[in-house]
Amino acid sequence: MNKLITILAATASLAVASVALPATANAGAVLDKVLQTKTLTAAVGTDWGKMSFLNDKHELDGYDIEVVKSIAKGLGVQAKFVTPSWDVIAAGKWEGRWDMTTWMTPTQARTEKMNFPAVYINDEVLAAVHKDSKVTKLSELEGKVVGVASGTAAESYANHKLAPDWIGAKPIEYQFTPGQVKTYASSNVAFDDLRLGDGVRLDAVLGDGSLVQDAIKAGYPLKEVGVAFDTPAAIAIAPGDKEFSDKIAAIIQSMKGDGSLSKLSIKWFGVDRSAK
Amino acid sequence: MNDTVIEARNVSKWYGAFRALTDVSLTVRKGERVVICGPSGSGKSTLIRCFNRLEAHQEGEITVNGIRLHGKMRDLAAVRKNVGMVFQHFNLFPHMTVLMNCMAAPMWIKGVPETEAKRLALKFLERVRIPEQANKYPGQLSGGQQQRVAIARSLCMEPAVMLFDEPTSSLDPEMVSEVLETMTSLARDGMTMVCVTHEMGFARSVADRVIFMDAGLIVEEGAPNDFFTNPQHPRTTLFLSQILKH
Amino acid sequence: MLYADTVESEVLVHKPLFIATVFVLVLSICFMVNLTGTTIGELMRPVIGDPLDSGLYGRFAVAFVIAIIFCLNIALIGFAHLKAQIAIVWLELLLLFLAFFAVFKLSLPFIWQNLPFLITQGVVTTLYISAISLVFASAIGIMAAIAKLSSNGFAYGIATFYTSFFRGLPLLMQIYLIYLGLPQLGIILNAVPSGILALSLCVGAYMTEIFRAGIQSIDRGQWEASRSLGFGFALTMRKIIMPQALPVIIPPMGNTFIGMLKDSSLVSVLGVWELTFLARTLGQATFHHMEMLIAAAIIYWILSVCLELIQSRIERYFARSKVR
Repeated sequence: MNKLITILAATASLAVASVALPATANAGAVLDKVLQTKTLTAAVGTDWGKMSFLNDKHELDGYDIEVVKSIAKGLGVQAKFVTPSWDVIAAGKWEGRWDMTTWMTPTQARTEKMNFPAVYINDEVLAAVHKDSKVTKLSELEGKVVGVASGTAAESYANHKLAPDWIGAKPIEYQFTPGQVKTYASSNVAFDDLRLGDGVRLDAVLGDGSLVQDAIKAGYPLKEVGVAFDTPAAIAIAPGDKEFSDKIAAIIQSMKGDGSLSKLSIKWFGVDRSAK
Repeated sequence: MNDTVIEARNVSKWYGAFRALTDVSLTVRKGERVVICGPSGSGKSTLIRCFNRLEAHQEGEITVNGIRLHGKMRDLAAVRKNVGMVFQHFNLFPHMTVLMNCMAAPMWIKGVPETEAKRLALKFLERVRIPEQANKYPGQLSGGQQQRVAIARSLCMEPAVMLFDEPTSSLDPEMVSEVLETMTSLARDGMTMVCVTHEMGFARSVADRVIFMDAGLIVEEGAPNDFFTNPQHPRTTLFLSQILKH
Repeated sequence: MLYADTVESEVLVHKPLFIATVFVLVLSICFMVNLTGTTIGELMRPVIGDPLDSGLYGRFAVAFVIAIIFCLNIALIGFAHLKAQIAIVWLELLLLFLAFFAVFKLSLPFIWQNLPFLITQGVVTTLYISAISLVFASAIGIMAAIAKLSSNGFAYGIATFYTSFFRGLPLLMQIYLIYLGLPQLGIILNAVPSGILALSLCVGAYMTEIFRAGIQSIDRGQWEASRSLGFGFALTMRKIIMPQALPVIIPPMGNTFIGMLKDSSLVSVLGVWELTFLARTLGQATFHHMEMLIAAAIIYWILSVCLELIQSRIERYFARSKVR
């Protein structure tokens, strides 16, 4: 049996040893790593509507994807994408698995876990209802059942817990108190529940404007009933690397300057929603 | 070198608080045929299972082929290689053919090449008179045939001594004789054997010595003629009268 | 099959009482659910007029027809041979399923367009993650089972703690623990290795119990015979015990692996592009996700059926020494 112990112990130590132990991200380290490996790894979603999705060729495409590629080009490196679920991205502690992510509302709570070098687009969070619904404005959603995607600013708004502490934030006016907030893995699942009929499972969905418009375009029987709030969306990076942060800020700034960011917005959304 | 194959001196064994063997001493010489009998629970099976250390004894000393038995694997392997054992329930390997059952130990333990092992296996299957069953699986054979394969399997290791642990007890009556015949012919060829059995006819005709055990003790031992006609101990007399009544 | 008695029983579906009960049941269920809007209602237009205006009478008529067809069907199947019965029942259930899917009005071109990618990317990833985990889980299972059966307190302690812990946590939790928790110890695994590790450890814990039961099912006499021939522990285990334990182990092992194939979908939360991830993702942009979900569901089913077939093949292989 002693032999067995030796085998067990050896296997265990091998398993530990075979695991690479990269240095944790620290000042300057991320930028160094990006430049050294010549790859900028970005975490994006595959179900973020026109921001980031899989196109007909099964490649990632969309506004965010092009922004990331432009940043990579500005750094002189290749862009690489990974697609963890949103709660994993938003949890922070990326451990160097990826260098940046997009479409993050730069709230105060999040600044502990990540830095926000630049705001690159403005988002509006809309309420959508079934087209048979009698609701015409936000205040009429008082006491209704509202669906949101988990971990989003829309969820915080629905629960009246949104701290509008981002740059240039206006105070939030909560125009209604939902009777019940239903949380979904993604907004699309919420749309599916809403399209079953007015009040069947949901009375309304609170979600990003572009997603609502995509759903309506795809033939979902929905209609918009008003903007709940505007949020800036930012590029997010792991905290602590000032040089990396400055580099990205400069690249976004120049994209704003030469109008390429606006062009991208018009290409994907039909309107210029890019941050000024 | 003397010709002692097994020597047990003052062997005692306990199962928890129960004393299974008490101060047992026994010597088996080369070529000797020893039959051990006794009522169930008398410790006879336990004793021969100690001879290849399927069971460990706690006191006394057992020497097999000049090697003293203890818990270390290296000496134990050398002993077991030289001690064949036949079990009451055959214990053939059901997932291997009869031939493979016989070839396995020579190939894996002694490193005998496959063709040589096969030759050896067929030789001993011939010896127990079932070479035609070589490619069947044990489950396809009768009890008597299986026990003969088990004997052949042990013989393939060409052991110095064969231990038989009630080899006919779980056989149908008509199959007992074929196994006993095989054992008798082995004895005739000079194999050293220790048999735990109730087959008194076999003991009478084959054994050099008969040992009677009861309650973990050797009660009486002697040449078969004396043992059967003139038992010394009342317990032996009682046992013999019970077993020979029919 | 159960061990059949020699009693000749009457065919259940030909007993008048049984048929009557089924008839009433089907009739009442169909009557409660309004089925006038279905194809059957449409077919009965000559009898009940416009199905949508036919009211209670139409509802009853449709339910009545369905109940008659249903009872006739089971009564007729009762006359067929066993094999034909099985085939007909399978076929009918399959057709019902297809009819169910047809209700969704799925876009078939979208499925055909994305199916190749679903297979080359999704199925391949699912399969290789499952296959690697299967190998690791088996290795862990054997080691832990031996440790659990050993008299070494250290090994026994580790093995029992391991099985208790990993059988006691939801797999999703383990995946998060390994992906998000291990980095706290300085061990940073990427998504795929994390998923494989979690799956291996979780399934390995179940395999431990399966192997343990298999090893324990082998008669003590086999150990003794093997020992008396001079075989050491490893040789006995490898050549005598495991080959005999495998036929006992294979059925529950096949069960576990079919379960694992589907549990591998949980690694999609880490962004691994396996079958479930793609099924949830591909249709999103164009709101065709129902198509992808159903396609993936059918693919999972086919994969499971393949595993079942492999399992029965292996079982047949091991049954060869049991011939009488």
